[in-house]
Amino acid sequence: MKKKLSEMDYAEQGTVTGIEDDLRKRVAGMGIRVGKKLRMVTKQPIKGPVDVVVEGAETSLGLDMAGKITIEVTK
Amino acid sequence: MKLSTGDRWDLIDKISKETVTFGAYKHTLKDAIGELTVKPMTGIPVAIAIMYGFWSMFGSFAGFFTDGFFVRLFDAYWLPWLQEVFPGQGGWLYAIMVDAGGIESGEFVLSSNCLESFGVLTSGLFVAIGVVLPAIIIFYLMLALLEDIGYMPRLAVLLDTVLHRVGLHGYAIVPTILSLGCNVPGVTATRILETKKQRFIMMTLLAIFIPCGAQIGIMQDVVPDLMGWILLYLIIGYFIFGYILNKIVPGKAPEFLIDVPPYRRPMPSNIGKKVGGRVRGFFMIAIPFVLIGCALVGILYQLGVIQFLGDMLAPVFVGWFGVPAETAGPLIAAFLRKDLAVAQLSVIEMTKYQMITAVVLVSIYFPCVATFAMMLKEGWKELLGSLAVLTVVVFAYGGLIHLIGKLLGVA
Amino acid sequence: MKILLMGHPNVGKSVFFNRLTGANVTESNYPGTMVDYTKGWMKIEGEDVEIVDVPGTFSLDPKDRAEEVAVAMLHENRDAKVISVIDASKIERGIYLALEIIEEGYPLVIALNMRDVAEDKNIVIDADRLERILGIPVVSTVAIAGEGIKELVSRLKEAKPINVEDIIANAANASNTESVADAGGAA
Repeated sequence: MKKKLSEMDYAEQGTVTGIEDDLRKRVAGMGIRVGKKLRMVTKQPIKGPVDVVVEGAETSLGLDMAGKITIEVTK
Repeated sequence: MKLSTGDRWDLIDKISKETVTFGAYKHTLKDAIGELTVKPMTGIPVAIAIMYGFWSMFGSFAGFFTDGFFVRLFDAYWLPWLQEVFPGQGGWLYAIMVDAGGIESGEFVLSSNCLESFGVLTSGLFVAIGVVLPAIIIFYLMLALLEDIGYMPRLAVLLDTVLHRVGLHGYAIVPTILSLGCNVPGVTATRILETKKQRFIMMTLLAIFIPCGAQIGIMQDVVPDLMGWILLYLIIGYFIFGYILNKIVPGKAPEFLIDVPPYRRPMPSNIGKKVGGRVRGFFMIAIPFVLIGCALVGILYQLGVIQFLGDMLAPVFVGWFGVPAETAGPLIAAFLRKDLAVAQLSVIEMTKYQMITAVVLVSIYFPCVATFAMMLKEGWKELLGSLAVLTVVVFAYGGLIHLIGKLLGVA
Repeated sequence: MKILLMGHPNVGKSVFFNRLTGANVTESNYPGTMVDYTKGWMKIEGEDVEIVDVPGTFSLDPKDRAEEVAVAMLHENRDAKVISVIDASKIERGIYLALEIIEEGYPLVIALNMRDVAEDKNIVIDADRLERILGIPVVSTVAIAGEGIKELVSRLKEAKPINVEDIIANAANASNTESVADAGGAA
């Protein structure tokens, strides 16, 4: 099932299937890219940031940014 | 040749497939703690506990050394000795360097402690060494520990929600906390913010609402029971004016994107180096400023400038801010030395609420000169902008605090 | 000679820096900014070498002031060699930055740091093979324990500019060759 990263639930996992163009370079340095497995660690309440683990590295990113990343959720 | 982002990742995939094998990843205790401290349900209570622990350690350590050691040293030995040996008692140099004294029933009397004498060699040294040194050491030590184990990024994640509302983002907590030690490295740390707008908001808020270690140390010493209220007013101001600035300052306030590194064992050598460097840096800045500021305040008192300005501005202080007329002098002197001003205020007869108002006023107006010099590096337009904001904030917020006091019936 | 230490934040860059340089270290302010960086000196085979601890950056597309300075420092030192410090447990994004620097034509040596952390996470890296594909020295290190630092220094002289097309070709070759013993390269 495809979801936006901003809509994923706690502890869900999946594979990154798309990142909007304007964000791709910005998150590249953090190792976030299409094809990588991603695990949602947590999100902060009231439109707070989203915390994910990609390739063993934890990154926290704002909710609007997370809305530009699509994930194929596997579990 | 340069690759596009996509091509570069394709190449990395190929390389990685040939050279790296990722075995089954097992969660460790460290990961579990890492996640617990970033999840809101568990992370926020932990953050509050850590901040509380930080605060109580700070208070008891600084209090132990200041009250238990330096107060005795300075008041029982250093001050009487200097009062005795320094020539020209009652003269202007004596007043500036050692003791301005007071007039009691028409006679010149010497001060009984280093907070009342206002001499460069007495109050100046006492504030710098007796009050600020222990406060700053324990503060930077605990901060370095939190930084070294890797807690700060997690605190940033937890606070991003609120800080994003004021145009900043979670990482703004780093310059904010650093500024509680000294605003100068705090201003330096604004480099981690992305845009000019964010850096402007951050610097302005730091300069206005974040009291430095020197001030906190002295407040802790002379008005310990009012600390909570004073800090509360400063924090509320930080958010109110941050919110307004975010609305009116042009520019972008991009979202948060940070790496959250795993926890690691703190390295004493790392911590030692960091604390040593910061304490040294603080003293290079603070000692000259405290001593020179102290001397200037003394000279201006001797020349009658502060009394003159105080008399002139007293109606404003009394009418607008609701503080007694006697506070005018210290509030003017606070332009040069906030810490001494707080000490001066503490011996004036007034209500608790007036004291809170006066100390908050001292905190929010005119940042120290060193901070100013630092802000100038970002650009003179920004500095002028910050000054304009500062002026508005002092009157608006000072008036608001007075109003709240009136409404509560305590002012 | 000048050497730039570059890498992500928190990869142990400063530990490297402290191990490489002696007491002669100065902290300076990058002109026009509030970003500080440290530089120091070491002797390599009798030659005085300047080492610069460049502020950490995730990529050459800066997203804040500190990263801007990192990129500016790289561009100002066209004749410098770069030690790219990579967190071995996050190797892919580390190589991303290393490739960006290689693509700009800098001679580079890779320090695969925190090897021990990677091993704890069951990540096994064939450093020799990586070296052959990239065509530049790749040294496994545990900087905190001082492991691999000497080897890294001794191999600095092998650093040379690499055309990224060669790396692409090497990577394609490597996947076609079962045996890697004769894959060629810097061995």
